[in-house]
Amino acid sequence: MSRRTLAALWFAALPLLLFPVLLCAGTGGGNPKPGPAATKQNEGERLFEMNCSRCHMPPMSISPRTTGTILMHMRTRARLSREDEQALLKFMAP
Amino acid sequence: MKRLPLMKAWYTVICALLAACTLHAQAPPPVASEAGYTPVLSGTFGYINNVDAGAPALEPQIETVLLVPFGSHVLLESRAEFFGFFTRQNQTSGPFIGKVFKSVDYAQVDWLANTHVIATAGAFLLPFGLYNERLAPLWIRNLQDTPITDAVGTRPNGIADGIMLRGNARETQTYSIQYSAYFSARSNINQLEASRLAGGDASIFIKAARLEVGESFQHTLQEKEINSSGTYVSWQPERVPLNLKAEFDRTFNGEGYWIEPAFQLSQVPVATSFFKHVQVVPRLQQFHPLNGGGNSLPTKNTQRFDIGLNYYFRDNMRFISSYGRQFRQQADANVWNVGFTYRFIWPLWPGRK
Repeated sequence: MSRRTLAALWFAALPLLLFPVLLCAGTGGGNPKPGPAATKQNEGERLFEMNCSRCHMPPMSISPRTTGTILMHMRTRARLSREDEQALLKFMAP
Repeated sequence: MKRLPLMKAWYTVICALLAACTLHAQAPPPVASEAGYTPVLSGTFGYINNVDAGAPALEPQIETVLLVPFGSHVLLESRAEFFGFFTRQNQTSGPFIGKVFKSVDYAQVDWLANTHVIATAGAFLLPFGLYNERLAPLWIRNLQDTPITDAVGTRPNGIADGIMLRGNARETQTYSIQYSAYFSARSNINQLEASRLAGGDASIFIKAARLEVGESFQHTLQEKEINSSGTYVSWQPERVPLNLKAEFDRTFNGEGYWIEPAFQLSQVPVATSFFKHVQVVPRLQQFHPLNGGGNSLPTKNTQRFDIGLNYYFRDNMRFISSYGRQFRQQADANVWNVGFTYRFIWPLWPGRK
């Protein structure tokens, strides 16, 4: 397959890939997540959603006895600041 | 770049980073919390039924991650993998035969000095691009087959044997800048083979947009002294359940890109309780060999399109499936994957509940 054909295929596929985004954005969604300005979300919860989802599904529950260890691992992996680690600790194991 | 100027530049960067850290390091007061620091065994059970160009393979897998903290600043971590690979005796017919492979993916000690410096020593995953360090775990990857360019910057087996400094270089209300800088010695130790190389990674995360843009660079200090670079983007807009990842990699043996927008169908207006657990993941990738390709990269122009459909029973358990079509001269192929993954986190020591 030539490069030109592939480029044409790519440009054809791009709108298809982005279609669900446009669809969701256009309808406003059935249950959109409120923005940070719209609600007084806990800082730890906001960090939790923002940082975890950069790589994976945010975990629903983690035993408090393991939270400190898991967050040390995550801080190393995601290069989180110590302030963020402290806020996440407070949120996940208050 | 000659070796001496490169090393000078390397030391200059390290000194500048350490100086910045010394100036800025202000550890916040510890927060009262019930969090425990017990040793943890985490990991994933997975089972994949793969059919590649008509040849079926059964792939049971277990990844285990051991985390042993020493206080709240030192962490010993290691990942081991047990990977079964069973194929039919005559490719498409006959009984399944195969074996289970065992490997240690990494074993490292981290010293979490402060916000700006985390020092790591041992055999650690190479922080090159998005995939090797962050998206490769079985329970995280949206599609089970790795991108073609995953081999760029991660040879021979994805790890470095040496030291690494990393951390959060600067954090404001609107953005944060992360960095990693590492040096690896050449090693032929079984399971811990590594090349002599130096490299780094830097990324900026725009908080309001949930957009991350980063660049990885690596220079091997042996044989051909190859330079490799990777540019990546990660975006999770707040109002749309999209997780977009894309990366362009270039090295002596070739260049290529992949783009993977993962959609969670939580905004489908019908059967919401079902569709909010469904994820659709297309991935498009192209690779163009340079200098003959090779070194775990294709030797011919290769294009591939995959589309995956995953169902999350819970955040740690999911059904996975995907179809891929590979376009390569005289080697077009269909690739199917069906299976499941389950992630576990077990404390290894009794403690507060």
